[in-house]
Amino acid sequence: MLKNIGGISYECYPLSSAQRLNLCNIKEGTTDEVENIGAGQFLQIGVNLAAMREALNRAVERCESMRLRLWKDPETGETWQYIVPYQNEYFEYYDFSEWKEDKITDVLNKWTSQPFDTFGGKLSRIVILTLPDGYNGFYYNVHHVCMDSSSVIAFTRDVIEIYCSLMYDMPYPKPMASYIESVKRDLKYEGSKKQQKDEEYWQKQIALAEPMYTDYTGPGRLMQLRKENKNKKQRWGLLASSDGKGSTITYELDYDSTMKIMDFAQQNDIPVSIIILHAIRTVLSKFNNECTDITITDLVSRRSTLDNKKCGGVRMHAFPLRTIMPLNTTVIESMRMIKKAQDELFIHADYDPLKVFGGLAEKFGAAPGSTYASVDFTYQPGAIGAINDTLKGIGFKSRWYSSGKQPKPMYITAMHRPSDGGLNFYFGYQTECATPEEIEFLYYFTGRVLFRSIENPDKTLKEIIDMT
Amino acid sequence: MKGENTMFEQMKELICRYVEVDPDSITKDSRFIEDLGFNSYDIMSMLGDAETEFDVEIDEEEIIKCKTVGDLLDYFGGHKNG
Repeated sequence: MLKNIGGISYECYPLSSAQRLNLCNIKEGTTDEVENIGAGQFLQIGVNLAAMREALNRAVERCESMRLRLWKDPETGETWQYIVPYQNEYFEYYDFSEWKEDKITDVLNKWTSQPFDTFGGKLSRIVILTLPDGYNGFYYNVHHVCMDSSSVIAFTRDVIEIYCSLMYDMPYPKPMASYIESVKRDLKYEGSKKQQKDEEYWQKQIALAEPMYTDYTGPGRLMQLRKENKNKKQRWGLLASSDGKGSTITYELDYDSTMKIMDFAQQNDIPVSIIILHAIRTVLSKFNNECTDITITDLVSRRSTLDNKKCGGVRMHAFPLRTIMPLNTTVIESMRMIKKAQDELFIHADYDPLKVFGGLAEKFGAAPGSTYASVDFTYQPGAIGAINDTLKGIGFKSRWYSSGKQPKPMYITAMHRPSDGGLNFYFGYQTECATPEEIEFLYYFTGRVLFRSIENPDKTLKEIIDMT
Repeated sequence: MKGENTMFEQMKELICRYVEVDPDSITKDSRFIEDLGFNSYDIMSMLGDAETEFDVEIDEEEIIKCKTVGDLLDYFGGHKNG
């Protein structure tokens, strides 16, 4: 639909369900920087600044969602998105080669904490940097309504491949896919037969008996809520921060231990994400009086087609992944049950997640912002590693920076390190909802349960809980 | 036989929307994960599209058991609407 914005006519599109899901994080009382994604991508080679600026400009030109803007219609209050035409940009450059790593991280975290003008302004910032030890590259801050972590990785790969093509005569990368076309495909989903089937599935899930909230610190929070609400049977939790202040703690699992997980995954035809979900699920059961009904929020990248892998934008959806299993279920059975539940969720992952969360709250009379899951989880299967194919041995490091705010109380991301393929676990948390000690505890037990499980796949959940 | 081959060609076309493979390298024995490089989400998402593409009502419990292109062709062949 054509809209007149600042005297210029733009083709505008409604927001996608994934964008609305993200913007909810701002509505719920935190400031706009909660939606910032800060990342740094650095190669251990000398940088040609002119070529890097050219590569960045070409990558922005090829990636429509890097030129995305939001506009709120002053008459209706509705939010629309549109793409501004590409304009050549002069990217700033800073030399931090003499700085200590901690100081660099502080500065880049600070930059990441600068909010964008969500409804009107430019929604990204790129700065070229030189770091110590001969690393050069770029820092990148972008609003989550334009990009998600998969897009950041695709964009990074594009910049690096264009740069390598300009500098080293390597093949020029294939074009990115159109973001607007992906928006149009999403709009076609509304009212389609597929949406009807997805709705049937999710309505059936909502119609089941009420799930049980299991907190990563144990049952104390639910008990307290029951006391406050004078409701001994309350099953929903309320895990929210008033200001969204948060941080990230990263744990690095060594290469050999990661390979044990990968080998188990391959031998048993179980995805790595399921093994980790099993471990988190079992820990939540252990911490909550061996509860058999566990819900974890599962984040789905929705990047299956080649077009969706390379179109930028934000496509991430989140849904409750609920499994009920008795304690005499074996580890391998548990993993298969979680896989089956996740497969079903994946088939119906195009549905609007806000309708699912809203439907659950409405059915069970839960308070706004209530939840049955204390943990959100996502697994990124080695996407950054693909960049290494282009680099052929050149040192590469990738860093994520914090805006000082977190959209979720506890958001665990498992991602393979570009350097050796070992798994990194990123615990993004709101400081009102967790302490570093509680996170350490959660990570420690998740690791224990995970390795006891893959060493003893025929043991029952009860036995694994008792062993750990 | 002609219908089966057309379905196979349609299936190859569908697969090539998801993974970068040469369509001629896809055989009925190709396994989605090991040979074609699908992950769990890719498969489930493709099945959702295939349902519309082949006009088939899928049974999620059954379809999840399909590991190869041939398995899926057999399933769709046996469940085609109309």
